[in-house]
Amino acid sequence: MTLNRTTTPARHRVLGGLLLGGLAGVLLGLGLSTTSAVVGDPGVVVQVGQPVVRTLLDLAATAVVGLSLLPKLLGFSRPALTEPVMRVARPAAVVFAAVWAFTALLSIVVRAYETRPDVPLTLGAVVDYVQRVGAGQGLLFSAVCALAYVWIGVLAARNGESVPAELRILVSMFGLLPLPITGHAANWKYHDYSMISMELHVLGAAAWTGGLAALVALVAHRRGLLAEALPKFSKLATACLALVSVTGVFNGVLELALNPVVTLPGSLFTTSYGLVLVAKVVCAGLLAALGANIRWRLLPHIAQHKPTALVGWACVEVTVMGVAFGLAVVLSRAPVA
Amino acid sequence: MSRVVSLLLSCLVALTAAVLTAPAALAHNVLISSDPKDGAALETGPQSITLTFDQPVNAGERFNTISVLGPDGTHWEAAGEPTVRDNSVVFPVLPLGPAAEYTANYRVLSADGHPVSGQLKFTLTKAGTGTPAPTPAQAADAVAPAGDGGGVPIWVWIAGAALLLGGGVFFALRGGGGGKEDAGR
Repeated sequence: MTLNRTTTPARHRVLGGLLLGGLAGVLLGLGLSTTSAVVGDPGVVVQVGQPVVRTLLDLAATAVVGLSLLPKLLGFSRPALTEPVMRVARPAAVVFAAVWAFTALLSIVVRAYETRPDVPLTLGAVVDYVQRVGAGQGLLFSAVCALAYVWIGVLAARNGESVPAELRILVSMFGLLPLPITGHAANWKYHDYSMISMELHVLGAAAWTGGLAALVALVAHRRGLLAEALPKFSKLATACLALVSVTGVFNGVLELALNPVVTLPGSLFTTSYGLVLVAKVVCAGLLAALGANIRWRLLPHIAQHKPTALVGWACVEVTVMGVAFGLAVVLSRAPVA
Repeated sequence: MSRVVSLLLSCLVALTAAVLTAPAALAHNVLISSDPKDGAALETGPQSITLTFDQPVNAGERFNTISVLGPDGTHWEAAGEPTVRDNSVVFPVLPLGPAAEYTANYRVLSADGHPVSGQLKFTLTKAGTGTPAPTPAQAADAVAPAGDGGGVPIWVWIAGAALLLGGGVFFALRGGGGGKEDAGR
């Protein structure tokens, strides 16, 4: 399902790249992690379905953040140029927010089932799960934020920029905050630091991926706007790359270091968690190289309004980001020992 | 613009810190020790199996389960909920029967809300007097009628939510945009 307007292939390629990358990341992550035989095993469908639903959730939320950041990147000084883009971006953000809300609710149901596969899955069982487990509450809060965004987004789609862009950015990012509670993002010791680090990781990744995806999907074929917006985004992306790498390595190494059963240098390659972490570091390296390519090889041409191969390169980058998202979902639940 | 963004970010960090310092541990639990130990040889069957983790275990009906399998796939776990005390879970076990190797498969709900499962084996060297539990199939037959009357199946709720959200968004965007912003999904 896509927006049926003047179809530009860039939009489909970005969305397809994110989705396929996410799926590939989930499968790669599951392949890297060893799954032990489980008592009352919830089954393969849930083992694969859970991360797929969760990756969809993350990608939808990221798209909402990116589309909310778009007016900030484009600026407000030239409404005649930016308004056609925003007329697509605003309803698209509403649709993605609805997908976000739905996948968050679905994720609660899947988790409730996975936790108690031998109990009949009724609304009562799901409500009980939410009441008892913090992860359920986190997802519910995220779904509520997504619904709030749907409402604000509809207002924005009707009334244009009179609904402040900052409000939309704030609500979308606030909805991301409870998501780290659903993974083993933080540990018993150093809990405060690792939690804040994880929040920054999630916000940075969302702004980076969402910003790039929104920009390439909606602005790449408008050279005038791109020449102004891409340099701004490039600065944001550099900051996000640094932030995401530092916080990611900090959290990953902390998780391995605090584990009482395995010791560090070896556990990077012997545990599921370590292997998925290494795969994510490889993704970060690739993204840095791809980002550098856009920044130093393509950006000078774009600034001069010359045609470039930006869409192709950016689609590769977005796909790698999708892989990293899929891996992240598996990583947040991979057994450390 | 950068000032606004940095202001937003600092607000978010402050809110994060305020909201999230309260909840408890969030990492996967790791099994530290067990009683009986994995691979132990015992003369008398244990009355219970105690699993101790590095972090608290979530207590709740059916969250933490165990199955103790003896020879020929017989079940030896006792009915009834395990006792959760901080970091450890105590599962009641029936008096064991023949001298053989027993396998305990457990699943507990980790502090971070993820199910964690594992296995430990121990050997009974002298035969006990116990008899195995009824097979899960028999037990399920006894329980099923009570469990089934529990309400509307969950997929009805899921379909309802999808319909409500999809329809709501479709009509909201259609109605306000004068039919121009068609973004149905």
